[in-house]
Amino acid sequence: MWLPLLGLIFGVMLGVLTDIQIPSVYENYLSIAVLAALDTMFGGIRAQLQQVYDDKVFISGFFFNILLAAGLAFLGVHIGVDLYLAAIFAFGVRLFQNIAVIRRILLTKLDNRRLKKSENS
Amino acid sequence: MNNNQRTKKPSPFTRKYMIILTVCIITGFIIGFSYNSSKDKRTLSSASPYYEQENQYREELIVQQERNKELTDELAELEKKIRGYEKEYSSNEVQYERNIKEAQQLRLLLGIGSGEGKGIKVTLQDADYNPASTNPNDYIVHESHIFKVLNELKIAGAEAIAINGQRLKMNSYISCNGPVITVDGKQYPAPFVIEAVGKQDILLSALELTGGVFDQLLNEHVVVTFEKSELIQMQSINEEG
Repeated sequence: MWLPLLGLIFGVMLGVLTDIQIPSVYENYLSIAVLAALDTMFGGIRAQLQQVYDDKVFISGFFFNILLAAGLAFLGVHIGVDLYLAAIFAFGVRLFQNIAVIRRILLTKLDNRRLKKSENS
Repeated sequence: MNNNQRTKKPSPFTRKYMIILTVCIITGFIIGFSYNSSKDKRTLSSASPYYEQENQYREELIVQQERNKELTDELAELEKKIRGYEKEYSSNEVQYERNIKEAQQLRLLLGIGSGEGKGIKVTLQDADYNPASTNPNDYIVHESHIFKVLNELKIAGAEAIAINGQRLKMNSYISCNGPVITVDGKQYPAPFVIEAVGKQDILLSALELTGGVFDQLLNEHVVVTFEKSELIQMQSINEEG
């Protein structure tokens, strides 16, 4: 389980160290991309914990979510409606849901372990 | 869940782990990138009370910088021009000096500058009264005699010529007016002293050619005397009244 964490840290370092300046016009896209990526990641973790994890769903969800969000933002910028809010809303809600599920699963697991320990002792 | 993990640990480079790794790297990259790009923005907005003022100053600064840039461009252009001139000058320096010398020479010939130097002095004098001759024209100095001397002197390279102290210009005129000659409107009687600045030897030898000016003058009963002079001074035509 350490490999993804190392990858995350590596990615953050890479992003911080790269010195590319993007125009402020595209910062909306970036924020949505961040949200989509986070959402997909937590979704993956949740799936793993719920043991319904699937490679294809995970990887396709990751890229498709990012592309969809960016496309929505693009459309919104061009027709003058803040459509990216929809993406942010959807992703935000899903993010919170996913995190809540993960928390519950972890809590139940912790409880189970404690029960086991008490039974063993 | 725990068991599940333990079974997977021996081979961490399965397809699933690689995919997770890729996704994590991309996510991290996006996060880091956005953090990085919003950093300067955050520092900017942290001074929000003075934001307007700062903005104003910044605009002023930009205007000044643009002006600076304009001026710098102008300066560069002018320097380039100067450099061009300098280059031209340095390449033409030899020619430039030559031009100055030539200008001096021309000025001397024109009589604008005062002439001074070694030279010769030729004196033309009427012959003594000859009772045998009835025509006084036979023994007085005519303008043609003076012309001969002047032309010979000029051809021989005289730099400045004066008659009886009257400097000759390029467009001076000499006319015969009975017993006197008129140089640029001023009348001079005999004897006529022609002064010439130049190389003495050359001038004299030019005048003394066999069958040359002196011989012709002597044939026409003109008394010619000449002397070398170490220092002949001539005023420029501007100094004359």
